[in-house]
Amino acid sequence: MEVNPLSIILVKSDSKGDRLLFRYPFYFLEKSEPANTKRRNPYTLPNLEDLLQSPTQPLSNINKGHLTGFTDEVLSSLFAVKSELCNKKFELKVNDVRFVGHPTLLQLRNKQQDASGLMLINVVFALQALASHSVVTCYHDLSKRIGIALRYEEKRCGYISEQTQTMTTAHDDGFVNNPDAAFQIILNKCTLASNIKKMYDDLCTSGIVNVQINKWITVSFCLPQKVHQWHLRGKIVEPKDIDRCLKALRPYHSLLLLHPMQQMGDFTNLDGSPSLERMLKQYSPIKNLQTLAADADLTLNHVFELTAHLVYWAKATVIFPICLTNKYVISPDAPIHLNSPLIDKFSESFPASNLIRVISDFALPTSLGQKCNPLCHPAQQSHLVQTIIWMLQHHLLLQLHTYIQYIPTDHGLAASRERDLRHRSLQRSVVLSSSYQPSASEHSRAESESGASTVSETPELRSELDLLNRSINLESVSFTSMEDEKQDYQEELLLDFPDEERGNIFKIPATNTPEDLRLFATLCRKGYFHGDHHIEEIMYLENLRRSQLLQLLDKFRDVLITYETEDPAIAMFSYS
Amino acid sequence: MAKMGYSCHNTDPNSDPNNQEGPIRCIFFCEFHPTAGPIISCQEPEQYISKELFDSISVYIITKAELQRSTITVTLSDYKILGFPVRIDDKKYPRNAYHFNLCLVCDSNVRTVHYEPVVMKLSDYLMATEIESSFLSDGGAATKLAPILKQVIQELNTKGECALTEGPTATHLKVVHIRSDPSPVADHQVPVFIKQLPNQQWDLTTQQVAPYIDGFNHVARIALLSDVENNLVKACVQNLVYYGVVALVPLFQYGNVYCTTPLLKALAHDVNLQNKCLKYVAVSQRQLPNFRDVFRMFAAMTRGTTIRDLCLRFNPSNLRVNERKLVQFGVLEGLIRRVHKYPILLSESADLQKSLSGAANLDEICCATGVTAQQLEDQLERDHNVVLLWK
Repeated sequence: MEVNPLSIILVKSDSKGDRLLFRYPFYFLEKSEPANTKRRNPYTLPNLEDLLQSPTQPLSNINKGHLTGFTDEVLSSLFAVKSELCNKKFELKVNDVRFVGHPTLLQLRNKQQDASGLMLINVVFALQALASHSVVTCYHDLSKRIGIALRYEEKRCGYISEQTQTMTTAHDDGFVNNPDAAFQIILNKCTLASNIKKMYDDLCTSGIVNVQINKWITVSFCLPQKVHQWHLRGKIVEPKDIDRCLKALRPYHSLLLLHPMQQMGDFTNLDGSPSLERMLKQYSPIKNLQTLAADADLTLNHVFELTAHLVYWAKATVIFPICLTNKYVISPDAPIHLNSPLIDKFSESFPASNLIRVISDFALPTSLGQKCNPLCHPAQQSHLVQTIIWMLQHHLLLQLHTYIQYIPTDHGLAASRERDLRHRSLQRSVVLSSSYQPSASEHSRAESESGASTVSETPELRSELDLLNRSINLESVSFTSMEDEKQDYQEELLLDFPDEERGNIFKIPATNTPEDLRLFATLCRKGYFHGDHHIEEIMYLENLRRSQLLQLLDKFRDVLITYETEDPAIAMFSYS
Repeated sequence: MAKMGYSCHNTDPNSDPNNQEGPIRCIFFCEFHPTAGPIISCQEPEQYISKELFDSISVYIITKAELQRSTITVTLSDYKILGFPVRIDDKKYPRNAYHFNLCLVCDSNVRTVHYEPVVMKLSDYLMATEIESSFLSDGGAATKLAPILKQVIQELNTKGECALTEGPTATHLKVVHIRSDPSPVADHQVPVFIKQLPNQQWDLTTQQVAPYIDGFNHVARIALLSDVENNLVKACVQNLVYYGVVALVPLFQYGNVYCTTPLLKALAHDVNLQNKCLKYVAVSQRQLPNFRDVFRMFAAMTRGTTIRDLCLRFNPSNLRVNERKLVQFGVLEGLIRRVHKYPILLSESADLQKSLSGAANLDEICCATGVTAQQLEDQLERDHNVVLLWK
C-alpha cells in the first residue's frame, strides 16, 4: 500500500548538534543484519580503472516495506535542516523514498530566550516515492500539527526538554552494546516515543490517528486516501474528490451513515461538536439534509459542513433519499462473487436472505415502488428498505436518474445558440447557488419528495391553483380572436428562441396548450434541459410534481431527449 | 486498415497541476572546493539559485558518503532541485577526492521523476571526461561547462533530447516520459487504432498483426488470422496500448447491452465532438447522419436494451448510421459503457461453481470455452440455480 508510512523519524537539533532521537519501526534493521555480514575486505585496493563499471549502490531504499540503507547519522544530518528551512514544508526524495516533515523551531523552557535556547524538532514521515502529491500534503499536515502541539507543550511544562533528555541519555547509555536496544528503552520510557509508535500503527491499519501528546493535547488526523479503504477497497479516495462531491451537495441529498449509530458515540465523544450530536440524534437515511437541518434546528449550511466532516472521515456517504421512485442498479464493480465476504456479512444482518438473490433483482433498473405492491405487508416493506440501505452502505447499488437534453433541430442546437451556451452555463451556476437558500415552500416540497414522510398535500394543491390562476389570467387578458391570440402568445413565449428552433417547436401539437408551452419555455430558459439537472432536481427547484414533468417530457419528446445515468456528484463513492 | 481516422484527445487522467510535467528552469554544476566548501561553479541561466539559498540546501547536494550516487530531490517552496552526487577518489586531488553534482531545477509543483535518468547519465558523462582529461578540475570549468549546460537545457526543453558530441566522449540524453503500465490484454478484447500507426520499422509481430486490427476482430481471432501465437499477439497489443496507438474495447455483438454515462452530456454541448462523432459513425462520408438521431440512439442505451433491440427500433441504416461504429465511438469516448453479465451458480456443484462464481463475465466464459454467447445464455436461462447479475 503506497500510502502507508515506511517509517517515522524524530530528529532534534540544538546547540549541541543534531541527533536522531527515535525512529519507528526500528526492529527491522536488526533482523536483516545477518544478510549484510559479508563485509568488505579492508585490505583490498580501490580499483580506479573500474570506476565507471563499479557496482552502483542499490537504487532502492525500501526492503519489504521498511526503510533501509540509511544510517541514523545520515538521517539526522538530512533532517536537521538549516534555519532558513524551518517552519516550512520539508520534502526530500532520495531514490525511491520520499521524506516529508515540518521542521519546527521551539524555545526551550529552561534555557535563555535567545538562539542558544532554540531547538529544532522534526517529525519526518518516510513514504514511498510513488505516493501521490495529495498524500504527501496530508502527511505534511500531520507533521505540522504534531510540531505545534509539541511547541505548546514545551512552553507549558517543558515536555520536549524532558523527553529529549531521556532519549539522549538512553542513547548514550545503550550505545556501546546495541543502538536498537536503546530504541526499545526509549519506547518503554518516553511517552513521545509511544505516541509515535501508536501513530505508525494507526496509519498502517485504519488511517485515523488519535493520540494524546503528553496526555494533554489531542492530535487527531485522518488520512482520506487510507481511511476510505475499509469501505471502498482498492479505490484511492483523494481529498479533491471529496471536495468535488461536497461542492455538489444539494439540500435534497441525504446522509447515509456507514456505521451503526452506537459506534458513532466514539467519534463524537469528549470535545465533539454538540451540533454534530444533535444532528445524529435526528438522523435517518430517508430524510434529506434540509429536513435534517429543520429537525435538528441547525442552519442548512451547518448541516452541509457536518456532512462534509462525516464524509471526509469516512463515517458517512451521500445518497439521494430513499423513496419509492428511486431506481437502482448494481454498481459496475460491485465485488459480488461466491467467495465474497460480503455474502456472509449480509446473512448476519438478514438471516433469512441471500445477498445474491436479493441483489439480482436489481439487474435491471428497479425502483422500490416496483418491488412492493399495495398488498405488501409493512414489515416486508421495511425489510426491503433495510436491505437497500445495507447495499447502499456497501456501495453495491447505484441510483439512476433521468437527465434531459434539449435538441431542437436535427443538428443539435441552432447555430446562434452554440455561441452563448457557455455564457448561459455561467449564469446557470449563479442561479443554482442562489437557489440554495431554503424557503418554506421548498422545505415542505422536499419533505414530500423523500417519499417516506407522509405526503403533504398543501404545496401541490397550491401549485395547481397557481397554474390555474395563471391560465385564467392569461385567458382573461384577451378574448378577441382565438387564432390571433394563439399566435400571439406563442410568439411572445418563445420570443428569445432562435427562429429555427421555434419553427421546430411549433410543429409539436402540445404547443397549442398554453400551460404546456409556458412550462416548457420557462424550464428551457432556466437551462434545466442541458443534461445538468435530473428530474428530481427540477422537481425540487421548480416545485413541480413528477407526473407534471413526465407528461411534459412526453409531449415534447421530439425536442427533449431523456437518458438515464448516475448522478456524477455522488457516484464517486461507488466502485467505478 | 490502420486508417481509422480516429483520434481521441489523449488527456492525462491526472489533470491535477501537481502531477504535470514542466520545463527545466535552470541547470547548475556544483563542486566541493578544497577551501571554500560546496560552491556553484557554473549556472545556466546565471544567478537563478542565489548563494543564500544554495547554502541552506548544500547538505542535500554535496552529501555524505552514504548518499553518493543516489538521486536526491529537494522540494522547496519555489523550486524543486534534482541532483545525483558523485565522487571520484584519486590522490591527485587536494583532499584525495573530487565531489561534484550536476543539478536540474524545476518549478516546485511539477513532476521531476522523468529527469532522473538524464541527470544520472549526464553525471556519468562528466565523470568520464574528468577521469580522462581532468576536464572539470583543472580550472576554468565554468567557461568550458557553460556552453554545454546551455545546450542541454535548451534542447531538453524544446526537443526532449540532446546529443553532446564535443569533448573527448559523446553522449546522448533523452527525456523518457513515464506512463503507467498497461493492463494485461484478454482474449475477448478488441483492439482499435486511435492514431495512425507511426511509420517506422516495427518488429515482425507488429507488422504481421497490425493489418488485422480493424476494430472488430478480437485478440484470439487476430491470432488465428495472422497465424501468430496468441501470447505474442497479446504482448504486441499491450505494447501498442502503452504507446497510445491502440485502445481496447469490448467485443461487439448484437446481444450486447450498453448504458449511458454522465459524459454523454458532453456530446450535446461540444460541437467538435459532435462533428467527429458524425463522421465516425456515418455509413458513408458523403451523407452524414442527423445529430439528433445519433444522440437519440445513445440515449436509448439502457440496461436491458440490446443492440438488436435498438436496431429494430431505430433501423440505423435508414438513419445512415453504422451501429458498430456508433458503439465503438461511444465506448472510446466514454459516452457509454458495456454492461456485462456475471452468472453465479447458487447450487452446490464444485466444478461449475468455479467458472460460474460471479468473478467472470459471459464474454470471458465464452472465449475460454468456445461456446457462442447465445448458446450459453440460453443454457443459463433454463437453469434456475443460476443468477445473472448485470453490472
